[in-house]
Amino acid sequence: MNIKLVLKVLGRVLQIEACTLAVPAIVALCYRESLAPFLLSAIIIGAVGTLLTLLPSERRFYIREGFAAVGLIWLTMCLMGALPFWFSGEFPSYVDCFFECASGFTTTGSTILTDIESMSRGILFWRSFTHWLGGMGVLVLATAVLPSMGVRSQYLTQAESPGPVFSKLVPKQSQTSKILYGIYFFLTATETVLLKLAGMPLYDAFIHAFSSAGTGGFSNRNASVGAYGSPVIDVIITIFILMFSVNFAVYFLLLTKKFRDVLASDELRFFLVVVVVSTVVITFNILPIYGTIPQALRYAAFQVASIISTTGFGTADYALWPQVSQVILILIMFCGACAGSTGGGMKCSRVLVLLRTIRREIHRILHPRSVEVVTLDGKLVDPATVHSILTFVGCYLLLVLGGTLVVSLDGESFAVSFSAALTCMSNVGPGLEKIGPAGNFAAFSAFPKAVLSVLMITGRLEIFPVLILFSRSTWQKG
Amino acid sequence: MNIIIVGSGKVGYTLAEQLVRESHDITVVDVREDSLHRAADNLDVMGVRGNGVSSEVLQEAGAKSADLLVAATNMDEVNMVCCLIAKNLGTKYAIARIRNPEYTSSLAELRRNLKIDMVINPESATALEISRLLRFPAAANIETFCRGRVELMGFVLQANDFLVGSPLYSLSKDVKRLSLLFCAVERGDEVIIPNGSFVPQAEDKLYVMGQPDSLDQFFRLLGRYVSRIRRVLLVGGGKISSYLIPMLQKRNIRLKILDQNEETCRELSERFPKATVICGDGTDQEILEAEDLLSTDAFVALTDQDEENLIMCLYARQQQIPKVIAKCSRENYAGIARTIGLDSVISPKFLTASYILRLARGMQNSQGSVMNSLHRIAGGAAEAMEFTVSENTRNLGIPLKNLKLKPGILLAVIVRGTEIIIPEGNSFLKAKDDIIIVSRGSGIRDLNDIYREDGTGGAA
Repeated sequence: MNIKLVLKVLGRVLQIEACTLAVPAIVALCYRESLAPFLLSAIIIGAVGTLLTLLPSERRFYIREGFAAVGLIWLTMCLMGALPFWFSGEFPSYVDCFFECASGFTTTGSTILTDIESMSRGILFWRSFTHWLGGMGVLVLATAVLPSMGVRSQYLTQAESPGPVFSKLVPKQSQTSKILYGIYFFLTATETVLLKLAGMPLYDAFIHAFSSAGTGGFSNRNASVGAYGSPVIDVIITIFILMFSVNFAVYFLLLTKKFRDVLASDELRFFLVVVVVSTVVITFNILPIYGTIPQALRYAAFQVASIISTTGFGTADYALWPQVSQVILILIMFCGACAGSTGGGMKCSRVLVLLRTIRREIHRILHPRSVEVVTLDGKLVDPATVHSILTFVGCYLLLVLGGTLVVSLDGESFAVSFSAALTCMSNVGPGLEKIGPAGNFAAFSAFPKAVLSVLMITGRLEIFPVLILFSRSTWQKG
Repeated sequence: MNIIIVGSGKVGYTLAEQLVRESHDITVVDVREDSLHRAADNLDVMGVRGNGVSSEVLQEAGAKSADLLVAATNMDEVNMVCCLIAKNLGTKYAIARIRNPEYTSSLAELRRNLKIDMVINPESATALEISRLLRFPAAANIETFCRGRVELMGFVLQANDFLVGSPLYSLSKDVKRLSLLFCAVERGDEVIIPNGSFVPQAEDKLYVMGQPDSLDQFFRLLGRYVSRIRRVLLVGGGKISSYLIPMLQKRNIRLKILDQNEETCRELSERFPKATVICGDGTDQEILEAEDLLSTDAFVALTDQDEENLIMCLYARQQQIPKVIAKCSRENYAGIARTIGLDSVISPKFLTASYILRLARGMQNSQGSVMNSLHRIAGGAAEAMEFTVSENTRNLGIPLKNLKLKPGILLAVIVRGTEIIIPEGNSFLKAKDDIIIVSRGSGIRDLNDIYREDGTGGAA
């Protein structure tokens, strides 16, 4: 493996990360808070990045370098991005900072903070800004602003973009990245304006727009979105997080006026059906708690959107809802958003292919000589892709179970351990019981926190870029 | 430019690779998932899976707004229909690869009715190239410029040549009188644009440019002059051969053709009664010797197997055949072949890709000067281009010594009316001149690109 070039690319990304620290620094400046955490971190990150870019290297860069680079970049970026938290002195330990930063970049939204409102505003802004950066992908940003990183950039974005198959919008990778970020930027700006109009303070509007754009879930209020108690804000956020969990290619199709192609997407229809069915079931299930249908619908729809998009905002504590509702929410945590969106989870298209493969398997048992292919959007799914999807799902479940085991070391209940591992793997945020919407991860000890942080990165990068870092042959010469 | 390439086979892939390097937007269309994957994984292109004759697929690939479509699947008919549909959808220029010799006679009609703007035929282009090489056996490769008035030849230096070991400025008067220009040197993996103090070494491949007569005399001085080729042995009776045979026969060259397949031999003998057709394996040395096939002036290996071609040519070289040409599709083999002493190695897909590249550059050239031709030399590491100077070209009338050209660029020849000038410091450009430029690497699209940005600017 061409480790030098991988490190060089890592250096470039760290340089970009150092630059992005300017944004929370400006916010800190506006609120007359200390600039030191941001300046110090920017200097360290920038210096390390610049040193790495000075490495001499050959230009060999293939798919495995791409995957390893993405895994390494995300791990380092989260470790480095935790520096401002550490320097601020508002976090108890570095593991907590790493957890918080990994939770930010991977758009998970789980927190170890018990009293969010007491934090400084610059730090809270950086926390949500990492959602925005991590949502669309840092490498996508890198390929958009630095078209020639000296490497075949499609390998990087391929490894970073969520979904079973990566498809470009236009032939050039740098152009595709620009279009994606353009759409992303426009939607975020729109949401900020709407939230401001709905009565949120401007600062809060930015925080919540970033968090919902990246489908993250960090809020600057202890009670999350519930703190505003405004149905209008609930509706705006519900709609936007659903929009951000749809494949961004849809917006490109809308922009290029290919309306019929939008409706042809199996994944989009599946996603909408899951959202509608879950909302209806939960609405009737929680009707006794809230009394009226509109009220129950408001909370059910928000929570379903929040969980399936893997955002993790809360307007109500679903840990107090009936078991059926909670289990439905856990199930849609697995499913997650659409491929090519900013959301996490296994992705609807994978679940859909999985279900169709199961159906085919049943048919094959009933009619041993039948020939049936798996299709998506009316097109044949390559058997190799089906195979990799099945492997992915298997890996996903094993990792969640492994994470459950690690958390259980702390002596937590099965519901807590399992939901903690799942919520981190799927990049959702809240789990069940004590880590529900009203709780947090502060009580866990350092080891589970570190493992959960890596699990978040693994889930965000869809497993393999991180797993190959642990494979010995990745690091061997030749 | 938006370019669609239909068919991601040998030619399609090479072409996509070259065009991506020139930062075009490339969409590749192919039916086969694996070859599409190969293109989309290795190159910065978009892949669309489907058959290029389906208008739905072409629309998805963006045929409505494409500037250029190249249909290079392995089926001529698919390529033709593909061009027709793409043109109807709104593609500006369509190129079809049509290789079946049977279509040759009806090409004009097909082009008119099927809206194909250009037809490329890798096999016939290769045949043309080979026939050119056989006309001038001393050179490893020849490129012609300005309708044949200037030629560029590459040849490999041998240890006992008088050029070896002394810098170019100290060459004898006899050579200087010929007004030739050494415009590029391939040494190992490196390509050098030489200046006066350059010292040639043995094994260097020199590219020399000048009028055909001067080049002729130069090779005589060098003692490399090979008398005109009268007898040629072709191994492999494929498509290239069927284009090449009539070309050579027109020049009264006696041909012997060797092919393994009896059927092919019979067909060849029926079509070309004057040629001697022998059925046998070209790699079998006994057949070659028994039929006295080796007493020939030139040996051309054109079978489908790159490896066989190279081995046969090595053997032929060993038997002291004056001119040996091998067809070799894989580029990485061509490099190896050169190191073992086979200098005339021809790759059909490389030729085809160069051809289309030239066209794409010409199309992009909206303003300024028109590129008339582009020749890639030294295995693609350098390019020789012919431009016509227009009124818009910068720095007209300024002596060259006052101009700064980008590094690695050489203004090789100025053709002004009937005069052929090898430029010196006092030479200058005039509108309507034809000029030839040699550049290391690629990327020159416009004549104005040759000036350094900080050089003496100012449009004339």
